[in-house]
Amino acid sequence: MVEKEIDAVTTQSIDPPISAFENALKQFDAAAKVLNLTKNQIAVIKEPRRVMEVQLPVRMDDGRVEVFRGYRVQHNTTRGPAKGGVRFHQDVNLDEVKALAFWMTYKCAVVNIPFGGGKGGVIIDPAKISKGELERLARRYFAEMVDMFGPDRDVPAPDVGTNPQIMSWFMDTYSMHYREYLPAVVTGKPLELGGSEGRTEATAQGIVHCIKEAASHLKIDLKKSTVAVQGFGNVGSYSAKILHREGCKVVAISDVSGAYYDEGGIDIPAVFSYLKDHRLLEGIEKTIKVQKMKNAMELLELPVDILVPAALESQITSKNAGRIKAKLIAEGANGPVTFNADKVLDEKKIFVIPDILCNAGGVTVSYLEWVQNRMGYYWSNERIQEDLARLMKDAFKSVLETSEQYKISMRVAAFVVSIQRVTRVAEMRGLYA
Amino acid sequence: MEISRTLSSLSNVMAEFDAAAKYLALEPDQIAFIKQPRCSLKLNLPVQLDNGRIRVFRAYHTIHSIMRGPSIGGVQFRPDIDLETVEALAFWSTHRCALLGIPFGGSYGAVECDPSQYSVGELERISRRYIAELVDLVKPNNDVLTSDIGTNQQVMCWFMDTYSAHFGNFTPAVVSGKPKDLGGVATLVNPAAIGVDLCIIQACRHLGVDIKNAKVAIQGFGKVGMNVARLLSKAGAKITAVADISGAYFNERGINVDEVTWHQQSYGILDGLEGEVEVEKLADPSKLFELPVDIIVPAAIELQITKENVKNVKARIIAEAAHDPVSPIADKILHERGTLVIPDILCNSGGVTGYYLEWVQNRMGYYWSAERMHEEVSRIVGLAFDEAMSIAKKGLIPLRLAAAVLACKRIVRAAELRGVYA
Repeated sequence: MVEKEIDAVTTQSIDPPISAFENALKQFDAAAKVLNLTKNQIAVIKEPRRVMEVQLPVRMDDGRVEVFRGYRVQHNTTRGPAKGGVRFHQDVNLDEVKALAFWMTYKCAVVNIPFGGGKGGVIIDPAKISKGELERLARRYFAEMVDMFGPDRDVPAPDVGTNPQIMSWFMDTYSMHYREYLPAVVTGKPLELGGSEGRTEATAQGIVHCIKEAASHLKIDLKKSTVAVQGFGNVGSYSAKILHREGCKVVAISDVSGAYYDEGGIDIPAVFSYLKDHRLLEGIEKTIKVQKMKNAMELLELPVDILVPAALESQITSKNAGRIKAKLIAEGANGPVTFNADKVLDEKKIFVIPDILCNAGGVTVSYLEWVQNRMGYYWSNERIQEDLARLMKDAFKSVLETSEQYKISMRVAAFVVSIQRVTRVAEMRGLYA
Repeated sequence: MEISRTLSSLSNVMAEFDAAAKYLALEPDQIAFIKQPRCSLKLNLPVQLDNGRIRVFRAYHTIHSIMRGPSIGGVQFRPDIDLETVEALAFWSTHRCALLGIPFGGSYGAVECDPSQYSVGELERISRRYIAELVDLVKPNNDVLTSDIGTNQQVMCWFMDTYSAHFGNFTPAVVSGKPKDLGGVATLVNPAAIGVDLCIIQACRHLGVDIKNAKVAIQGFGKVGMNVARLLSKAGAKITAVADISGAYFNERGINVDEVTWHQQSYGILDGLEGEVEVEKLADPSKLFELPVDIIVPAAIELQITKENVKNVKARIIAEAAHDPVSPIADKILHERGTLVIPDILCNSGGVTGYYLEWVQNRMGYYWSAERMHEEVSRIVGLAFDEAMSIAKKGLIPLRLAAAVLACKRIVRAAELRGVYA
């Protein structure tokens, strides 16, 4: 059961690639303009506070020592300890880590959890080393960074190529070093070792809370609405499952094998049982009532009420934006809508829930894990769901209000809200020295 | 205060662990990794007596496991103690916390002394010197001490004060079992009794015994026995027999628990109960176990139901509020006969659950109401009961073995996830 969950987290990536980051920077600049920030104010909140690069010598199984390179960036710690994943991937580079740390600062600020932003990475393809080598690499990474991390300094989490097992090694290394049990130094731990309930579905559940709020704002009756979900990984599949449970008609789903459609609504629980024996949706049209679409990209253009792009970046571009018929787009993935497409959607009055807000459910439950670790007291799933709903709904409301107040898109409004929160606190704290 | 256990009763715990390890088909390496204590400390405590002389007391402290969280365990002041017993108790504490699913490992400590032989001043100096020796080991995130045989709320206050003064921080979370005025918790009922009551009610539900009008015999009328009687009678059960060292008292139609409680609180003993309350005193108090009742709660001392009297036991549920009241052979016979024995490690775990919740509240610096405490103790013990019961049902094994299997699984899983630091 836990093994399965570990796999699910390993293969999922909820962080954006670099071009999505460039899009975000443009939105950030637009928001800074709305707020009339000075150049110096921008400099303080845009650049990372601290960047650490380390060499990690690791004894390999054959006796050799191999040296890997690792990074940790603390982008901002004004609102609280830095928070953000550590990725193990062959393409990790410092620019990317910096960009992702920036992203985390604003994600945490928009959902108003008391964290700044951070990110880390090691240049390694974890599939190419043994479990023992992976453990030694993970422990050495944490040991090198032992003064950077801490429940009140910087709290890492799983990301691409890392999982609850690696979080357990991080926690053990840190706890043994300081000779105390300190689970709050890292989140995304397994349930048996201080993890939280509700983590697996957290991001999807957060998306659905945003969709519910948006639907009531747009006067869409969820029970009568139709939905298309692009992508069927952790985020897409659970979004489809929860929306189905809420009474929506999920008419289209997709993964790398293609897109599948049924006007009458797809039986999502049946899709989940199909995936117990199959890795992909491929061939599902033979088992349950769906039609495979000729062109998977046309899923985005279906006449549905709600569209959830939960696969890759840059799916809605200036090329297809004009043909989108949905009234509401909930960005499950990072950066699925390009900068130019955004303008088109804006003109068409299509309501977009931006990624930075929409997929923040994951980090929100990470925050609740950290809170529980500090208390040493663990909540039921019901309590987690209650808090997640409250935090997501409050975040949505502040962004919506800001968007109406300044007459700006939800996307720019999300940055305005988060920048306001970061700058206000930065000014109140002042300069230490 | 905890009820005493002997080394032989502790070797039963170890035997239970070995059976669980076998049931789970653990590798020898896995067993070695979780069976031996992490560290044991032998101390000599020089203490100035009131007559000016210095006496050196032998003391022990064992941390068995810190895999699932900081270790927690009692500190005993008793003359008949040795390191082997302390290590076994620490082992047992690890397993009880794992069974409950609370984020703790296990430890235990002891000072070789008879507290009744020393003045308050001498006991204070013994207590302070003990924790002063452990000051680098004990901390809220590493090792938490609780009161146990021969120690009490006052000793916990001295521990807490010495530790807090040493580091210059108010640190109540380093000990549990403090009085309410100094970081202790609010309770209406003794948490140990809450746990026993809850286990019995869930066991009744499981066996289809209606708790309303179910007949109950309780041996022992201290804090636990008395409060279990009150809780069960509130739930509608009929308490037909109670006992303490003065003898056993019986009334087939049910005893008025309020009157018995009043008698016990006034005289400190049940002796003379038959003159004041409508009960009959049994000629042979050990016949209590052979009465026609649905539930027996042995809440006094060990080895009460043995192969000698087990064949006459008529109850369907035996709730081990004391440690090891049922001998291993009697236990086997009862299981074969379909009598449900709620094992001590589960049945009397309300106490340590209360200590855990005290630690939680100390960390928050925020204190719950007595009602909230009652609710939380019930939730934690109830969940452990359900989980152990479902393992017992699935594997068709005794609840005692199921509890050991559940605890063992959790410890092994945590140990494997954490791996070996260095």
